[in-house]
Amino acid sequence: MKTIIFDSSTLINFAINGLLQEFRELKKLFDGKFLITREIVGEIIDKPIKIKRFELEALKLKELITDRILEMPSALGIDENKISKKTNEIMNVANNTFFGQGNAIHIIDVGEASCLALSRLLNEKEIKNLISVDERTVRLLCEKPENLFAIFQKKLHTDLKFKKENFRNFKEFKFIRSTELIYIAYKKGIIQLRNHQNVLDALLYAMKLNGCSISDDEISEMKRL
Amino acid sequence: MQEKENVLRILQETKAAIRDNDSLKLKELSNQTIHTASIAQDPDNIAVAVAVYSLSKIVERKEYRTFTGWENFYKNILFAVDNSIIAIRKNDDRKLKESLMSIRKSVSKLSGKLKGYIQDVFRKAEINKASKIYEHGISMEKTASLLGITMFELASYAGQKPDGEAPLSKTIDVKTRIKTAMDMFK
Repeated sequence: MKTIIFDSSTLINFAINGLLQEFRELKKLFDGKFLITREIVGEIIDKPIKIKRFELEALKLKELITDRILEMPSALGIDENKISKKTNEIMNVANNTFFGQGNAIHIIDVGEASCLALSRLLNEKEIKNLISVDERTVRLLCEKPENLFAIFQKKLHTDLKFKKENFRNFKEFKFIRSTELIYIAYKKGIIQLRNHQNVLDALLYAMKLNGCSISDDEISEMKRL
Repeated sequence: MQEKENVLRILQETKAAIRDNDSLKLKELSNQTIHTASIAQDPDNIAVAVAVYSLSKIVERKEYRTFTGWENFYKNILFAVDNSIIAIRKNDDRKLKESLMSIRKSVSKLSGKLKGYIQDVFRKAEINKASKIYEHGISMEKTASLLGITMFELASYAGQKPDGEAPLSKTIDVKTRIKTAMDMFK
């Protein structure tokens, strides 16, 4: 069994760009499960469904669950209570890692932490998994926390500290972004566009401009692969 | 509230800038609030950041002054800023909270087109300040929750801002990440 865990940021990106059909096609190609946590359901469906401007996207995302494109962790026998417990543990460590002006800087919230918690539980069960997250903070915290600290230093102009021993708590996680997923969709020929010369460019920039943390240089490199 | 001295100065300068119709000064003051708002994440610091930025936009748009209700709105805003200053000086957190809230509430007392325009200004100010806090390294979800906006709003706004920290945001080379993704789809 293998799984991809989805953070709100990736799903919102596909929804805003009108690429949920392509998302469904990606699932058909994937011999495993696309998972989301209860906390992410709150972010992508329960809250936006009450706002007229985002009601349609929320309904379309809800359909993904109804159609079992996205599944809850219980589909793999993972207990919600265990996720909640691990989520709190992860939030507690993450939000007590960087300090400024005598305060612990709260860097992540419950949805993002729940993705890490689910990944950790899957790792314990030796189930291969990736987390798809478009926003940069969680990815930086896990992949290069020194860079996150450098951003704080550059932006906050104050005396900052970090607990280096906490960094190892986040080393086990592996990440992709919506840009890698749409790249695969393009390469597998499931994009519903005629083969114009600039389709990949358009797809990657659409993802970037709706919140995927990817640089222009990275996009150029992806196009050359 | 954190950094009261700094916030007191910002509010005093805000009052003068409103009187001088100096939107640039207000924008600059609003930027000064964002570091503390990012670190402390205190609702009052965030309320000041949003209010000062909204006021910069309101002062900038001279046409608003021709709408019915402007005079009262203007007076109410100055009154609320004054009360916030007094509350900080007296170290009265409850009063400060009320005064900051009354800046926002003064919008609900408006009617007609002006009400709609100014509500929109405050909403966009929340999204703008959220994107600034996200730029400072706080996660998207955490930021959205602090400002009371949805991640849908923040994602598209933040995505359209130039990423000055792109080199620091790159953690793994492109080929490796693509390979990781591709391997999962084998």
